[in-house]
Amino acid sequence: MALYEKTAAELSELLGKKEISATELAKDIFARTKAVEDKVQGYVTVTEQVALAQAEAVDRKRAAGEALSALAGIPVAVKDNICTKGTLTTCASKMLYNFKPPYNATVIEKLAAQDVVITGKANMDEFAMGSSCENSAMHPTRNPHGLDRVPGGSSGGSAALVAAGEAPLSLGSDTGGSIRQPASFCGVVGLKPTYGAVSRYGLIAFASSLDQIGPFGRSIEDTAMLLDAITGHDPLHDSTSVKTPFEGSVRANLKADVRGLRIGLPKEYFGAGISDEVRKHVMAAAETYKSLGAEVFEISLPLVEYALPIYYILSSAEASSNLARFDGVKYGYRTPHVGDDVVSLYVKSRSEGFGSEVQRRIMLGTYVLSSGYYDAYYKKARAAQRKIREEFAAVFEKCDLILTPVAPTTAYEIGSKTANPLEMYAGDICTVSVNIAGLPGLTQPCGFDSNKLPVGMQLIGPRFGEQTLLNAGLAFEQASGLRNIIAAL
Amino acid sequence: MAISRKEIEHIASLARLDSTGGIFDRLADDMQDIVGMVDKLAVLDLGDITDVIDTERKNAFHPDEVVQEYTPDQLIEPNAPDFQAGGVAVPRVVE
Repeated sequence: MALYEKTAAELSELLGKKEISATELAKDIFARTKAVEDKVQGYVTVTEQVALAQAEAVDRKRAAGEALSALAGIPVAVKDNICTKGTLTTCASKMLYNFKPPYNATVIEKLAAQDVVITGKANMDEFAMGSSCENSAMHPTRNPHGLDRVPGGSSGGSAALVAAGEAPLSLGSDTGGSIRQPASFCGVVGLKPTYGAVSRYGLIAFASSLDQIGPFGRSIEDTAMLLDAITGHDPLHDSTSVKTPFEGSVRANLKADVRGLRIGLPKEYFGAGISDEVRKHVMAAAETYKSLGAEVFEISLPLVEYALPIYYILSSAEASSNLARFDGVKYGYRTPHVGDDVVSLYVKSRSEGFGSEVQRRIMLGTYVLSSGYYDAYYKKARAAQRKIREEFAAVFEKCDLILTPVAPTTAYEIGSKTANPLEMYAGDICTVSVNIAGLPGLTQPCGFDSNKLPVGMQLIGPRFGEQTLLNAGLAFEQASGLRNIIAAL
Repeated sequence: MAISRKEIEHIASLARLDSTGGIFDRLADDMQDIVGMVDKLAVLDLGDITDVIDTERKNAFHPDEVVQEYTPDQLIEPNAPDFQAGGVAVPRVVE
């Protein structure tokens, strides 16, 4: 087995025993990238030279007998909306085509402190707005399991790179499903942590009250390793960051035991619109949990019917405010057709720098916040958000976890939904409620459809329920054998 | 509720986006559909929930002390589209 085919946990053990070096591992990973990246196109920027220097530094530390973390020398790809000092951070947008941040995001500082090797910046939908990675201003990423298919989005590059063996781990961000849906489409594990569990400092904002950075891996254990590395209270930089009960300890406490666990199946997530194949595989996973000793029963979350309007109102409102900073003045794209007044500089720079989906969201956000419409849209959506939180809280009185599909279908053909934004938005129906309620959500593979495309399932937990989520994920992973799936390319 | 072309153009001006050209025609059509989708929220009965104050999340303030400073040449100049004489150059603002 080549090094790129191993999990991060296996690689960590080999590195710890000095059976391989970090440099050897990095070279193997980049050889894999050279072999398949033309097909996958998961990267916006590959940082091979910097990564090799990082790997050599790790090897020197290990040779000197320094105590190193479990992630020391492990390659990790990073979504291109997470600031990396001195390395292009474009958000896959023409607006930030040349932006080199003067600082690192907190998660990057944490990874650097643990001697992680950053392999490059992963492609995404522009400013994280999209569900297919087709909204990238650079190029679309292709699903490694079917190159005519989308990898999902917005963290499509992060998911595809892990599925293709170009990185054992990656970081993404999730505002309405942007980690979980691409993980599902690409057959990998993805976790959206509880809001506040991971610092957002240095994550270029889309919708600040919903955004959350999270890990991708090819196994539950690997995902827990990366979660442990990035979790932590960041009071200096992120006022919404919180202390969690599990900081740094999830991997150590993994236990594949679901006996007595109460798992709810919300009937609204299995109805019309969900493909038969997706429903079949997720229901089969429910049967697996029953056979492992969990108590599985039907529940109801009726407000899911309103989740999409609530999500698109709140996220677009915040986006319209957050993206007002991009005006062509201080940094980023500036139109070459500057008029003789500053307003034309703003208008032309923004209209030329933002892609059509970003402009749609800014327009919707501006509309729902505008005078005369604020109460009917934004205020009502915020009140409805509270009602959704209350609905989840009531359900978690009766069950420990919720099991649902991640998306209505498996990965669809590139270009098949770009003409109809509403059709694209409808694909977010199973994931957005988790962000609205600030909950953790885990995606992992639960089978393959008749086209040999991965089917994912979603486990939703109460706030700070990450340990329970990953324990249940591990139990299913061991029972199903669905782990470390690398696409044949 | 339906949204008129004139309203969409007004929203574009508020958002500092160009409302001329063929691309905007497509954007305006999409806006009609998207507003139709979010209008679904109108029928949701929220009972006595009216406030939008988030009681779950507490903002964590930190001391108002400068802990790190960048000089303009470190922070702004490397990324500025046009940097002259220690500042960002823009078109004339005052007539």
